[in-house]
Amino acid sequence: MTATPIAVLTAAFEESGIAAEPDARETERFVVLSWPSVPIEIVRAAGLAPILARGGLTATPTADAYLEPGIFPSRLRNLAEAALTGRLKNAARIIVPRTSDADYKFFLYLREFVRLGIAPTLPPVLLFDLLQSQGPDVRSYNAARLCDLLREFATVNNRKVTLDDVRHEIRRTNAARAAGRRLMALRHGIPRVTGSEVFPLLGAFWSVDPQVYATLAIAAADELAERPALAGPRVLLSGAPVDGTALHVAIEARGAVVVSEIGPWANGAAGSDVVCDGDPVTTLADRCCLETIGPRTPAEQLQRTTVDLLDNVDAVVVSLPTEDTAFGWDYPALRTLLLKKGIPHACLSSDSCGPLSAADEERLDLLLTGLPSRTEVRHG
Amino acid sequence: MAEKQLQSTIAAGAFQKEWFADLRRRVFDERQPYALLQADVPFELFDLLDFPAVSNQWWASLVAAKRQAPAYLDAMSAEGHHEGLCHYCSLGYASTKYRDVQEPPWGGLPTPRLLCARLTCDCIHRVFSLWAEAFGSELIEIDHPGASDLPPRWWELGRHRWRELVEPHRLEFVASTLKRLVERLEAIRGRQLEIDALRQRLERVNLQEEAFDATRHLIASSPETPVRMTEQISNVMATQWVRGTDWALSHARAFHDEVRQRVAAGIAACPGEKARLMWVGVGLWHDTDFYTAFEASHRAVFVWSMYLAFGPDGYIRYGLDDPMAALASRLASFNEYLHNPPWASEWIVQQARLHRINGALVLRPRSMKPAAAGRLFIEHALENAGIPVLPIEADVVDARAWDPKTARESVRSFLEKRVIA
Repeated sequence: MTATPIAVLTAAFEESGIAAEPDARETERFVVLSWPSVPIEIVRAAGLAPILARGGLTATPTADAYLEPGIFPSRLRNLAEAALTGRLKNAARIIVPRTSDADYKFFLYLREFVRLGIAPTLPPVLLFDLLQSQGPDVRSYNAARLCDLLREFATVNNRKVTLDDVRHEIRRTNAARAAGRRLMALRHGIPRVTGSEVFPLLGAFWSVDPQVYATLAIAAADELAERPALAGPRVLLSGAPVDGTALHVAIEARGAVVVSEIGPWANGAAGSDVVCDGDPVTTLADRCCLETIGPRTPAEQLQRTTVDLLDNVDAVVVSLPTEDTAFGWDYPALRTLLLKKGIPHACLSSDSCGPLSAADEERLDLLLTGLPSRTEVRHG
Repeated sequence: MAEKQLQSTIAAGAFQKEWFADLRRRVFDERQPYALLQADVPFELFDLLDFPAVSNQWWASLVAAKRQAPAYLDAMSAEGHHEGLCHYCSLGYASTKYRDVQEPPWGGLPTPRLLCARLTCDCIHRVFSLWAEAFGSELIEIDHPGASDLPPRWWELGRHRWRELVEPHRLEFVASTLKRLVERLEAIRGRQLEIDALRQRLERVNLQEEAFDATRHLIASSPETPVRMTEQISNVMATQWVRGTDWALSHARAFHDEVRQRVAAGIAACPGEKARLMWVGVGLWHDTDFYTAFEASHRAVFVWSMYLAFGPDGYIRYGLDDPMAALASRLASFNEYLHNPPWASEWIVQQARLHRINGALVLRPRSMKPAAAGRLFIEHALENAGIPVLPIEADVVDARAWDPKTARESVRSFLEKRVIA
């Protein structure tokens, strides 16, 4: 039996993290990224394949000896475990973008593992030092760092990577983004697909070849478009960005539908096209600086993103896990905004990769059981 | 609070109180501007443009020492900020935003003309944006590029070979952001920074830190420590916030002279000293008595904290042809040296050996996530060097979850089982 496009993309997402056995990819040089805030076009232009770290429930006993609790999210603990147990030995490079202070510290930790000789098989570890403030020197700094990264990638396969190669990848990736937008459209207005189902389809954007992704995502969108509308209340996931579907599942088990998440995995995958009239590297660096969602994203920018999404939702779930250092500062302003708009919300403090605490279960019950389903959907 | 053993300490405390009263007078009566700064911002630039500056961390430590933090932090929690957020960097903001809860120390912070912070930890942009909004003041942010070259034994490079310590692109970026900061300060003050004045100021900072270096070596080499860690901190920090000024240089030298006299006279902070302890991490501002609590019972005395040692190792820069670049090199990896591998752990082990440390108490900060990072490497490195470690879990400004009795009991047990035994 042939697998459907939905099944193929879902499997690609599930298998894409570092929990998978990277040895299986020996035929293709791959780089490991700690967060999807490295321009994927640069990776592919150098003939490399990306593997992205994601959170999970797997125990990380080796990493726990070095990574303090409550500071590093699950994805970084998983990555450290893989690094310390030799599972990343076949990666060409490990790239840690400066999306959060935890990522930056994690980069320093990986380098220290190597220096101390406790991760002897670790490939070279690089920091992609993307700054996100608005200072006048930031733009050229970021572009220079991305140029450095491109040069480094070029050495992996010992091939020259031209700016035209980068432009070509921008075009290919834009096609994948357009397909991602088709999937996202099925979540707008009256949703046709649950968040738990579509999040992996969107998340596969980061690991699947763009051309293949575009074909599969369009086919998946066509299939999903035929489905009946979903009547549950529409929920936005905000706060610390999620990298898996555990929260979606918990929310949707209560009859609601997650229609958007503020973060790179889904919304970022289906973002607008990269428009490149000049230097493609600077263009990509600018986009990364402006659109990367993480703890270092300026508060005003995050608020603008949130406001844009509120018209399409009936409730908001704010994820503020223990390791959060930034998003909690935005919460009082978000609460004021939601009150003004009459949108109910709940704050959850559980790790978004695992089961909810009893208190969070109760908070979700309280939020979602009181919300009516939308009558226009029930009436067809 | 333990009695002060040094005249310098009394003088340092009096200076700070007088300085702050004078600041309030200048701001309220003469309408002069002042700035609120994160501790790692170059205060020298502000002072040279006649911009008095108050450190966020100094203010937080003062609020905590007055036991006022819990009421402000309760108010912050009631507003919806979760308990995991950094209290140390935000206590100053809370004392402004929720000033109706109680009267802040020394009459409170007047409204600053501007706030300035380096974007090191993720929370800084948020906290300072909210604080600037609460005051209605301008905020200047200095971005913090990350280090990717990690030369070992940083403290040996910093003085003469500081250009090798920081990657050229980072040095250039930080120097450029400092120039833009100066341009903004010049626009506000209506006058120019003289680059020669900056060079002279940094030369005086060097002299001040040399005095601290000499003091450190007296403490490290004396049979018994002549000055308690808490008094080291009082003297050093009062000086560092106005570093390079006449008072600072004179006070650093007076502090050194008094310590030298005590050494010459054989005066110890804790006569009959049996155990020399180090405190790794930010000071426990709400319970500074903790640091003297083991002197009478165990003859255990805190000898070392980062505050005195980081002055000479972190600040001295020789070769000031380009003073802005020298200043940038000091700033660029300031936090990394103190907290992150490889720098923090190898420096702390070196310092422990220099000071003949018998036991280390390593802070596990409850809410300061960046400062909490790297501590396991530090603990492993100290233990591997044969120095027993006791982790102390605490919030440095928030006493709400601090049980002084249990904490002291755990230290006594540690001393008896691992240090003095």
